[in-house]
Amino acid sequence: MPPDISVRQLVKHYVVPERAGGLRASFRSVLRRKHRLVRAVDGISFEVERGEVVGFLGPNGAGKTTALKVLSGLLHPTDGQVDVLGYTPWDRRAEYLSRITLIMGQRQQLFWDLPAADSFLVNKAVFGIDDAVYKRTVDLLTELLDLGDLLTKPVRQLSLGERMKVELAAGLLHTPRVLFLDEPTIGLDVTMQQRIREFVTAYNAETGATVLLTSHYMADVKALARRVIVIDQGKLLYDGALAGLVQRYAPHKTITVHLERSVDLPDLNGQAEVLSVEGLQVTVRAGKDDAPEVTGRLLTQLPIADLSVEDPPLEEVIDQVFRGDGP
Amino acid sequence: MRILRIVSAFLRAAILKETAYRAELAGNLLRSVINIGVAVGGLAVVFSHTSELSGWRLEQAMVLLGVYYLVQGIVQTALSPSLNEVVSEVRKGTFDYVLLKPVPSLLLSSTRRFVVWHVADVMLGGAIIAIGLIRLEAQITVGIAAVFVGVMVGGVAIVFSIWLALTTLVFWFVRVENITMIFQLFFDTGRYPVEIYPFWLRQLLTFVFPVAFITTVPAQTITGREPLVAIWLAPLIGILALLAAARFWRIGLSRYTSASS
Repeated sequence: MPPDISVRQLVKHYVVPERAGGLRASFRSVLRRKHRLVRAVDGISFEVERGEVVGFLGPNGAGKTTALKVLSGLLHPTDGQVDVLGYTPWDRRAEYLSRITLIMGQRQQLFWDLPAADSFLVNKAVFGIDDAVYKRTVDLLTELLDLGDLLTKPVRQLSLGERMKVELAAGLLHTPRVLFLDEPTIGLDVTMQQRIREFVTAYNAETGATVLLTSHYMADVKALARRVIVIDQGKLLYDGALAGLVQRYAPHKTITVHLERSVDLPDLNGQAEVLSVEGLQVTVRAGKDDAPEVTGRLLTQLPIADLSVEDPPLEEVIDQVFRGDGP
Repeated sequence: MRILRIVSAFLRAAILKETAYRAELAGNLLRSVINIGVAVGGLAVVFSHTSELSGWRLEQAMVLLGVYYLVQGIVQTALSPSLNEVVSEVRKGTFDYVLLKPVPSLLLSSTRRFVVWHVADVMLGGAIIAIGLIRLEAQITVGIAAVFVGVMVGGVAIVFSIWLALTTLVFWFVRVENITMIFQLFFDTGRYPVEIYPFWLRQLLTFVFPVAFITTVPAQTITGREPLVAIWLAPLIGILALLAAARFWRIGLSRYTSASS
């Protein structure tokens, strides 16, 4: 079976107007605009198989949203080939658009003054969904998202999190096979983020849909995606298992020991660096290869109550990737 | 069939939305009645000093005013709300959701919003036309009525095309509200027959901003006045304008999809 999404050497450059701050520069730019070329996406390639959930990571302005917009047919790429479900997205064929969805956490499509149910009926007509299928889908989404009576309240009366839930439902009424989710949890509180994550997992399991999502929140990525694609400044930095990302970009481990009593620390031979000493808790960082030896030495030379060896937090790893400190 | 279902779904949502704010609905209807009342009163004042205005009698000028409100009502009910929505959506970035729908974007962009209470303008306009025709004791045959409808449809098509073309500029300039305002100013000249304007303005209103085709020509057709130009020109220009505007829309859209972020 061919992959659902196939991207080869995708390039998207923009020309954007540029001007310095200040009144004088503003006046000047009315008369003569200066332009600057932005390489939003600069030659990335990847494939996504049917039913996969892939996290798309990168700092602000890395090109994530641009890539999603090309994949969903909103933008023409400058160069490269994209194939999603056998279609070229930017042809924007009706059959293609009926099989995908793009849900943007920061942009709403529902009628503000009306209950979501009324917007749903519009989407039902636009996508030509027949009554039985529509009812089944709404029931499924109501259950998975715990929509309850949210659909009958005017959208303007919903909380941010509730609104995101109905937005998600609105974008999924036509049971798309490929989901592009752009920051679906942005601005939501931790509990609601959790709910959205559980929903995406359940929806993926229930329908076998392919999901490509971007997020700022590492918790999203950790909970959802076994595979991540990291891009920065339009270039692909990493594509593979989440665990592998940590392996590759975090060449050290963090060893935390709880001492039984206060003692001097042994000489660590320069194999480890003491990060902190707080009362009886000592944290050291050691290279991945040195970690077993350092751990052994700590165990034999110190009165230890407890010891743990951990990978550094994902946030730290990602941060390192973006700063280009990795190998 | 599908198109009909889509449009009726939007219409349904619009009616729900409008009726959700009853006070606003009542206020708007009142405004509509006052607006048209004042316009008719204005005509009456002008014609109390003269029995003819560039060859137009009061009743004929009333029919023309009725045509103006009829067209204005149609435009404000069904056409301009959708197109104004395009302008604000392009700015907010939610226009993307229009392009994500499996329906031609022009269809969706021009049939999505309705401001139902403007139907009052359509009805009041129709009433003024009827009163004018009755007072003229005009003999309206089926043939004349059919020609009148054809000319009116042409006129609405012209208005829609110009409005669409101006809206399409949003893909280049993002803020275009002021440009559509200019059109409204020209459109307002259509309350009076083009014959009352000086030569240069008449030419402008016939050939550049063809307001003449929108009100003067239909009113001439049905009141039996000598038409300004060949009647068949009105629907023809309407069709040509639509085709040109649709083409321009496609060009604008391709700019949007290659340049927006």
